[in-house]
Amino acid sequence: MTASAPASAFQPLAVRVQLTLDRFNLAIDVTTHQQVTGIFGVSGAGKTSLLETICGLRRGAQGTICCGEEVWLDTANRTCVKPEQRHIGYVPQDGLLFPHKNVRQNLLSGSKRAMQNGHPLQETFELATEILELGSLLDRSVTTLSGGERQRVALGRAICSGPRLLLLDEPFASLDLALRRRLLPFLRRIRSEFQIPMLFVSHDPLEVQAVCDDLIVLKDGRTIAHGEPREVLRQVFTDPNIFSVAEQHGFENILPCRLIENNASTSRVRLGEQHQPHTESVELTAMKADARPGDLMLASIAANDIIIATHKPEGLSARNIIPARIVQLCSVGPIGFVGLVTAEVADNLPPLTIEITETSFIELGLQVGRQIFLVIKATSFRLYEGERRKSV
Amino acid sequence: MRQEIFSILLLTLKTASVATVCVAVPAILLGYALARHDFRGKEVVSASVGLPLVLPPTAVGFLLLRLFAVDGPLGRQTLGFDLHVLLNWRAAVLAAAVMSFPLVVRTARVTFEGINPRLEMMARTLGHSSFTTFFVYTLPLAKRGLLAGIILGFTRALGEFGATVTIAGNIPGRTQTLAAAIFSAQQVGDEGQAYVLMLVAIVIGFIAIISSELLSRNRPLRSRSWHGLAR
Repeated sequence: MTASAPASAFQPLAVRVQLTLDRFNLAIDVTTHQQVTGIFGVSGAGKTSLLETICGLRRGAQGTICCGEEVWLDTANRTCVKPEQRHIGYVPQDGLLFPHKNVRQNLLSGSKRAMQNGHPLQETFELATEILELGSLLDRSVTTLSGGERQRVALGRAICSGPRLLLLDEPFASLDLALRRRLLPFLRRIRSEFQIPMLFVSHDPLEVQAVCDDLIVLKDGRTIAHGEPREVLRQVFTDPNIFSVAEQHGFENILPCRLIENNASTSRVRLGEQHQPHTESVELTAMKADARPGDLMLASIAANDIIIATHKPEGLSARNIIPARIVQLCSVGPIGFVGLVTAEVADNLPPLTIEITETSFIELGLQVGRQIFLVIKATSFRLYEGERRKSV
Repeated sequence: MRQEIFSILLLTLKTASVATVCVAVPAILLGYALARHDFRGKEVVSASVGLPLVLPPTAVGFLLLRLFAVDGPLGRQTLGFDLHVLLNWRAAVLAAAVMSFPLVVRTARVTFEGINPRLEMMARTLGHSSFTTFFVYTLPLAKRGLLAGIILGFTRALGEFGATVTIAGNIPGRTQTLAAAIFSAQQVGDEGQAYVLMLVAIVIGFIAIISSELLSRNRPLRSRSWHGLAR
């Protein structure tokens, strides 16, 4: 890597491929240096085909794929490295556990490669088992596992094979929402404990914002946006031409925060990841979370659950009234009846996106730079565990 | 008489076993190729392998007879040496093998088709070559179905009659298997002998079919996925 390359410890992954699919051509040209790169898009956007091409399981792609210094595919030079020589850890939607092996055997089914690569298998196995809480499942038959357990085993198996790159193809998509949110902290802890670069395919904006450092948005086989996840999602959401990508979920603001205290029925959190209060730190009241003070959490607030007030309101039941400043205004949607306001609550925090109607937009006379107050009910935002606690 | 029945049974089991052993590996490999690969002429291969299932066994016997006759394409005059596969015990094995081959191929093909090919892909991404994947993942997953297919092939070989009498004849003590012996006993009016042989055949057939069914039942009930879904 040259000195001018971005300051990142991760090997670049460069994918420049063309592939003919049933409905469209997949044409991708991206390079990423980040640890976790998200691939976001609705189903049928070509995400799985792209991952399978990177794995070497799907043939027919033209172009080049390079991971660090290794060339995996170069059709011009007739190079195509076999899937078993790409050293990839693949976690598909359905887990694909081997039904004739138990959990331990599944976890160790890539152990031969891990040892050949000089990977510290024993340590990885123990750490992965601990993080993913698989200890009590090791001797179980995989056919008796629940959906969430299966996906954790699939993730553990990929990690124990000593991969250079993890490919996660909507690993939690087959699970219900509550379970998905419970698995997210496992993934975040895996991410911080094992410094393995990952490609993370998802169509869930929350997962993407919680895990990814870099985001690629695919639509009909093309990259329509690439960059910092929050920024990219807002861009996708505010572009009327691609609005449909995000519209099925509505935009959710995802903010990292620390739990400060638990009260009888509510919890106080401070926005931001830092442990110590900051001069401009913003504190919020949410419904009581199942966590301890100091824990890292993710607060999720839907863009249409936030109310804008131009003066500080009084006599409200809403628990949170936060001063903010408008940084961006735009109207979205095919008919243009929804306005998006992006407001900054503090310098060191990512801005929040608020959805309002066109009428309020005009009547309130909103302008960029104007001071406003954001009103958020404690019940309208959800707290999720941000990272799996280390068991003592 | 008991001595005679015992030797008929032994000869039949021996013929069928040797035929099954010869057939198993090529049939499983062909079944795998048909299930997993697309190649030119696949339909033709599949149809010709299946032919013995639909042809009258005597037609197959006659075909084999012409093939291995002294002046046939695989006979002494063409090859320059004699394969000795007519009118002897080897002929009975050959007939049984040819007749049971398509059954084993079909069961193997269906079994392999029932295995999610993505499991094999998963094994590849975990660092296993396609060769290792076949032996360590595909075969163990297909084990039950393949065994059921082999048992089915074995029972087909046991009951083989038409092709066997055509190329191996019906020589007591040398090529006379259970099926041929029942036919002979009935022809000469020895009903007692025919009854006993028939009962022996029923017992063997019963055991074979039950074990084949037990094997082809995918997994014991307790490990079905509803267990997981309920949680």
